[in-house]
Amino acid sequence: MPQIFIIMPQLGESIAEAAIVNFLVQPGDQVEGGQDLIEVETNKATMTVTAPCGGRIESFSAQLNESYAVGDVLGKIEATKEEAARFGLDVPAPAKSCDTDTEAISKKSRNATGSRVEPTIRGLPVPANASGASYMSPRLKARMHELGLSAADLAGIAGSGAAGRVTVEDFEKFMANLEQQKLTKASSMRVAVADAMRRSWTRPIATVGLPVQLDPVLAHRKTCEPKPGPALYALRALAVALAENSAVAGRLVGSNIVHPSAIDVGFAVEAEDGVLVPVLRGADKKPLKELVIRYNELVELARQRKLPADATGGSVATVTNFGTFGLIWATPIPLPEQTLVLGLGAGRKMPHWDEAKNQFVPVTEAYLTLSFDHRVLDGGAAGRLLLRISNLMRQPEKL
Amino acid sequence: MSITYLEAIREAQAHALRDDPRVFIYGQDVGAFGGAFKATKNLQKEFPGRVLDSPISEDAMIGLAVGTAIEGMRPIIEMQFADFSTVAFNQIVNQASTLFWRTNVPCPITVRLPFGGTSGSGPFHSQCLEAIYAHYPGLVVLTPATVEDAYSMLLAAVAIDDPVIFCEHKFLYYHLKAEKLPSEALPIGKARIAREGRDLTIVTYSAMVHEALAAADELATEGWQVEVVDLRSIKPLDTDTVVASVARTGRLLCVGEAWPWGGVTAEVIARVSAESYGLLDAPPQRLNAKDTPVPYHPNLWAAHRPTARSVAAAARKLIRF
Repeated sequence: MPQIFIIMPQLGESIAEAAIVNFLVQPGDQVEGGQDLIEVETNKATMTVTAPCGGRIESFSAQLNESYAVGDVLGKIEATKEEAARFGLDVPAPAKSCDTDTEAISKKSRNATGSRVEPTIRGLPVPANASGASYMSPRLKARMHELGLSAADLAGIAGSGAAGRVTVEDFEKFMANLEQQKLTKASSMRVAVADAMRRSWTRPIATVGLPVQLDPVLAHRKTCEPKPGPALYALRALAVALAENSAVAGRLVGSNIVHPSAIDVGFAVEAEDGVLVPVLRGADKKPLKELVIRYNELVELARQRKLPADATGGSVATVTNFGTFGLIWATPIPLPEQTLVLGLGAGRKMPHWDEAKNQFVPVTEAYLTLSFDHRVLDGGAAGRLLLRISNLMRQPEKL
Repeated sequence: MSITYLEAIREAQAHALRDDPRVFIYGQDVGAFGGAFKATKNLQKEFPGRVLDSPISEDAMIGLAVGTAIEGMRPIIEMQFADFSTVAFNQIVNQASTLFWRTNVPCPITVRLPFGGTSGSGPFHSQCLEAIYAHYPGLVVLTPATVEDAYSMLLAAVAIDDPVIFCEHKFLYYHLKAEKLPSEALPIGKARIAREGRDLTIVTYSAMVHEALAAADELATEGWQVEVVDLRSIKPLDTDTVVASVARTGRLLCVGEAWPWGGVTAEVIARVSAESYGLLDAPPQRLNAKDTPVPYHPNLWAAHRPTARSVAAAARKLIRF
């Protein structure tokens, strides 16, 4: 009876291997063609390997929890000749897919001498990743380095190379063209912000948003002296929420999540031609009325561009109050070393249906947005964090 | 009047014999017969006692050459085919190449290797061994591509105090012609820009220079300007000229008739990648003979070695990268 190999199938584009999660049948079991035999897990989904034809499972060579490449033999099925022929498998399949040239050569050489080293007759392939729009040649990199440019500066250049890559000729043409246009020097602050945003943008960043009623906050701040701004309420609420679960503010480095060591939260202050981010240390440990004094100090220092070294850097998240520009919605980009940025939009009077009064009542509403590194958390976690912040802001007296 | 590559080699030897009494020629059938390819035709008659037939033992030929060099002579040794020089490998790489470094006594011998493929020559009469000899310190390896270089570089080889492996390409012997012999030449160790261009640099040597030039002609009709660098000398290797050319073009294709493994093309790419990585706008590529013994059949041979057509195809691919 012919033995038919059970082979790891092509499970989808760009999938090279899969891990064995579960054997759905045992050696000795009778199976039908197309029946699910093995559950495998790829980096995208859990799928099944099906029987190439009907017959009796002779053996599984694959081990549980081990990964196997597409084309690897996972086991054998003992099938009748008729059954194998019905599925076009009456010729034993090669264990690995290999190109026909080599196969022909090796067949011939087996007849002749038994074994020999095959001549290397193929050319030198260009590595698959060494082409395409994102590929920058060493020369292009060297030239850009010389001019102090970064990859983001190439965005406006249409590449003429393989798969649209920018060749050094494309680049030089672009640069020559620039010289004929009006150029002004960007400030060092602008350059620093550009650098931070460019580095941050290498990550997949997503934004979620939620309307929050500001009336409790606005009522509460009237009772305080000095009066905290709505953004500080949001900052304090974020700090409290992160103290409950700091993992969402962790950074992904390789396959590790780096957890924050303290809940230090930054806030964006517009200064001249850029943005500064002073930091409130231990924002989860101090109540709002203590934070506000330091907050006001830092805002003043930032505007004068006199922030002390210990008041910048090393924060786990940032709050930005884009509402001060009259904006109701925005998608801020987190700092490169952070996973989260919380945004607060402008408050507006909105009609709100009051069930008790059975009528619309005016409320002050603003949007809270949370931009996050999608590698670290997903929409659900981001939404839960935002909801928690919004709930905390409804009870400002507890902040 | 025109003169062939082979005649230039004969003339250079006559010139050397005339100029320097220490020069003599030694090889199989180089005397009355004039050599397998007639590279020493009539020289025995012209210089009696200085053009000597050797036994069929390459080993003994180089051994004798080293001995006479120690005694102050400047022998020119003709190997019938480069392929057979491997019989003398021990004498060349262990004795000749190390002599000066061991004893301070120079070893001014010139070993002429008629090398490279011609149609139907097969595995024993087609080999390109320049990379093997270039591997050894103490040897100079020359690969002239033109009639002028064949003449002037052979004269230079005889004048050099180190052992020189002079690789003369059999494919060029008869149909490469020049109007007259040169009166001046580039120094040994200096490469030549055989054709100027700005889109791609082809670095090559010996017979492949002509395939590269033909490929450059073909690409010119498509609007590409290909620069062709003729290395002339494999060792010393003129990295400066190569790097300067890559600085102009940003793209490098190395072409050699020898096998790819650890060859001259690999060496050139290694040097350019290491010394001037930032000049490359595309991955450097090489085109060599296939990594199999040289086939007998003319059709297989034509597919085995790089040709103008395959050079042009490789160049096109690299330009479009």
